[in-house]
Parts: sequence; C-alpha cells; structure tokens
Amino acid sequence: MAELHAGEMHERYILKTELLWAFGVGILIAATLSVIVFTALTMDVNPPSNVERIDPKTLHLSGEFAEQNLGTTVGADGSVTARVIATQFMFVPRCIAVPRGKRITLRFAAPDVIHGLLITGTNVNTMVLPGFVSQVHTEFTRTGDLLMPCHEYCGLGHSEMWAIVQVLPENEFKPGQDGRVSCAQR
Amino acid sequence: MQSDQHSDSPDEVDEAALTQVMRIVPLGAGILAGSAVALLVLGYLAIYLLVFLPRGTVG
Repeated sequence: MAELHAGEMHERYILKTELLWAFGVGILIAATLSVIVFTALTMDVNPPSNVERIDPKTLHLSGEFAEQNLGTTVGADGSVTARVIATQFMFVPRCIAVPRGKRITLRFAAPDVIHGLLITGTNVNTMVLPGFVSQVHTEFTRTGDLLMPCHEYCGLGHSEMWAIVQVLPENEFKPGQDGRVSCAQR
Repeated sequence: MQSDQHSDSPDEVDEAALTQVMRIVPLGAGILAGSAVALLVLGYLAIYLLVFLPRGTVG
C-alpha cells in the first residue's frame, strides 16, 4: 500500500512538472512572438515581402529598369528610390548613393538567374529572382561605404559580383536637376 | 558469486530511498533543462536587441 502511494505521488509530481514546463515554454513562445510583433508595429521591422512581376526578357529595354532609370532617384515628393539590376556577374550600377537617416526604397530585378544580396552591417537581405521585383525599405543609420555582395551562387563569376552602397550625410546627398544622385568620387 | 549478487540486487532496493531519489531526480532534470532554455532565450534576446535592432529598420 505504501508503494502504491509513493508511485501515485511520483506520477502526480511528474504531471505537475510537465504542466509547469509546458506553461513556462508557452510563456517564452508568447514573449518571443510579442517582441517580434511589437518591433514590427512600432519600429516597422518586417521581413521584406513584395510580389511584383516583371518580364526578365525586356527588363533592360524599357520601363523602370532601363539603363537611364538605374541608380538613385529622388522623387518630387522627396522619396528616395534606388533601382539596381543584378546580373551575371555584376550589379548595375556598381555604386549606389543613399542618404543617412532617411527611409529609402531599394528595388532590384534580375534578367538571368537567381541572385541575392545583403548590405553589410544592416538588415537588408533579399533574394532577386528573374521575373520579380525585390523591394526593401530601410533607413541607414551611419555614413560610409558598405559592401553589397551577391550571396546566392549565380555562376563562375559569383565571387566577383558585388557593389558599394555609399551612405552620405544629409548635407552631401544632393540630387541634380533630374533628381538623380551618383556616388561621390573619393 | 558476483553475478548472483547482481541478479539479487534489484530485490534489495530500499523503497524509501528510491522514492527519495525519484523525488530529487526530476527536479534536477527540470533545473538543467530550464537553465539550457534560459540561456538559449537570453542569447536570442541579446542578439535581437543588441545586434538586430541597432542595424536599423527593414521591411
């Protein structure tokens, strides 16, 4: 009888421990999700998601990603957009000028194969798929030249495929008459 | 003989001592697992708050 009693206590203890553990893990999962939701709502930190189709065969001939439209443009409303083509084995243009402390839009397209990119020291990180426009909104917090390598193996010249993002102070970021900004020569 | 002693030993377990041990063992497992999970969560939070967020907004 004493053995049975001890066994019952043991089983009850295990159940209690498991329930306590499940409760603790539930709290942790809820806290983790809360942090993600909180930063998404208050700091606008989200995974970049943009489903926008574009014909990779005619990408360079006309429209948004034609050669004359590539690089950084300041719109009439002051919005800054940088358009870049990722192709084997380079980014066009090789250098993108952007302002510090201002929300900007980066738009990428690929005419050939799947590429990817990240900008070092920032959270910008996206794939570039032929047929789609990859769009990332971000705000650079410090000035300087940041490396932007291709991080998706795209062929034999993959390791040579990189560009520079030149983050300029506000007073040096001056668009020309056509609203375009090129990298400063240093 | 040695082997006979081993085969007899399960019958000689002190039930009271076994109960006592079985009370402590789950607590130790809980503390070990809890410490491991706590370290994991602290590592996640440290990287999220000290590395990810200072890198700036993205979306």
